[in-house]
Amino acid sequence: MNAPAKLEIRNLSVRYEDAPPVVRSVSLAIPRNFIYAFIGPAGSGKTSILRTINLLSIEVDRAKVEGEVRLDGVDLLTGKIDRARIRRKVPMVFATPQPLPRSIYENLVFGPRLAGVKQRARLDELVEKSLTAAQLWGEVKDRLHQSAFTLSGGQQQRLCIARAIALEPEVILLDEPCSGLDPISTLKIEEAMESLKERYTWLIVTNNTKQAARVSERTAFFLMGELVEDEPTERLFTAPRDSRTADYIEGRFG
Amino acid sequence: MSTAVRRRVSPRQAQALVSVLLWAMMATTVLVLAFIIVFVLQRGLPHVTWEFLSQPPRASGREGGVWPIIVGTLAVTLFAVAIATPLGLGTAIYLTEFTRENRFTRMVRFGADSLAGVPSIIFGLFGFVFFVITLGFGWSILAGGLTLAFMVLPTVIRTSEEAIKAVPAGYREVALTLGATKWQSIVKVVLPSALPGIVTGVILGMGRSISETAAVIFTAGSSLSQVVPTSLFDGTRTLSVHFYQLAREGISAEKAYASAAVLVLSILVINVSAYTLMNRFIRRYR
Repeated sequence: MNAPAKLEIRNLSVRYEDAPPVVRSVSLAIPRNFIYAFIGPAGSGKTSILRTINLLSIEVDRAKVEGEVRLDGVDLLTGKIDRARIRRKVPMVFATPQPLPRSIYENLVFGPRLAGVKQRARLDELVEKSLTAAQLWGEVKDRLHQSAFTLSGGQQQRLCIARAIALEPEVILLDEPCSGLDPISTLKIEEAMESLKERYTWLIVTNNTKQAARVSERTAFFLMGELVEDEPTERLFTAPRDSRTADYIEGRFG
Repeated sequence: MSTAVRRRVSPRQAQALVSVLLWAMMATTVLVLAFIIVFVLQRGLPHVTWEFLSQPPRASGREGGVWPIIVGTLAVTLFAVAIATPLGLGTAIYLTEFTRENRFTRMVRFGADSLAGVPSIIFGLFGFVFFVITLGFGWSILAGGLTLAFMVLPTVIRTSEEAIKAVPAGYREVALTLGATKWQSIVKVVLPSALPGIVTGVILGMGRSISETAAVIFTAGSSLSQVVPTSLFDGTRTLSVHFYQLAREGISAEKAYASAAVLVLSILVINVSAYTLMNRFIRRYR
């Protein structure tokens, strides 16, 4: 934990309109090549933090944000760095599988094309590489030009992960990626994260405490917009420091 | 208990009754529609000959054909749509994507709805005073087309707006997270998804333009030209105006019905080809 953090959040507060903040002065650091989990009940601010890291909350939800989000030491919230560039480095996968209405292939090359990749060979290579990484290549390699909507829900979500990987990102944000999926699809996504840890840093928001326990190395527990505690996952689940954390992971509320 | 007694029609009977009723409504609609089309075509088609389609009118339309009138009708209509589509679509994009719902957007929407309810002869009067007289365009394709453009603008705005609103918010967010700017997400994701609705609006507008009489008689004129219009400043008589004159002046019932048949058929051709084109385009976005 002494290496410089890949992603560091400092005193981050997020509010919408003039309502009280939904995220209150949160600070934490995520090391490089790491799987980090956010847990907490609905309304605890986990998703707002995620959406602020890639500036979606500011652009889409018109959130008012204070504090810093540093990627490799550079603050993303100053407005000086192009949003599209930030999002290519820190893409996000949403809770419901969200393919765009086009073919599997076109879904995957959507981001790279916007980033300026034009050669067919390079795009083909990105498609194969990212689908392989998301453990989907074998299932779809013969029907890349069919509509992405022909895939099952679990396959669609892996397509969304592959689509994020095709951007050649640094940190991948997952917002409850398995909330609507069957156990086998969930397992495949967890395996993919595990096997790609060497290449990317993962930040997963999950409502499923067991999933956090299974995949993550460090877990942060949020409640009412506050970071209650963040510990190595094993310690958080076996010996939480705060009684509220214990209540939550034992299912006494939320 | 008492409800069971009071109920005279069981839910199952109501269900059966409703499906018969709805079927009857649908059948009535189709029947009326078919009757109108058959009525016009039956009277008109026998007189639609190659000569009628390719010759200029003679003797006030009693003899000859409607070739310059067909060209003029298409010119006025296409010009109107060419103006109304970008204006209407731009307005719709602005209202849905670049502002939040507020007093101003509600006012614009209310204005558009009110404009849609204004009788076309009022548009004709406005076009006559403003385009024909004040701007000095004279009776022309330009004046007629602009008048029609403003007449169909509300339709284009409102249908485009609804179509754009119906695109799932998730598509926009996905495009943004994949490194698109807001404008790129609109052009590459939102508009292709909204296209069927937008095209429907444009086709509705085109249908209203091509069949409009009152608004064009004041603005494009009703002079019966022997030659095909070649400039936007040429006046022209449109098919529906031609039909109106032939029928009202009692010049020739045969030629009037033939003009009506050509008008109905051209609307049919335009609709079918527009939807075919659109389907070919959206096949890529499924």
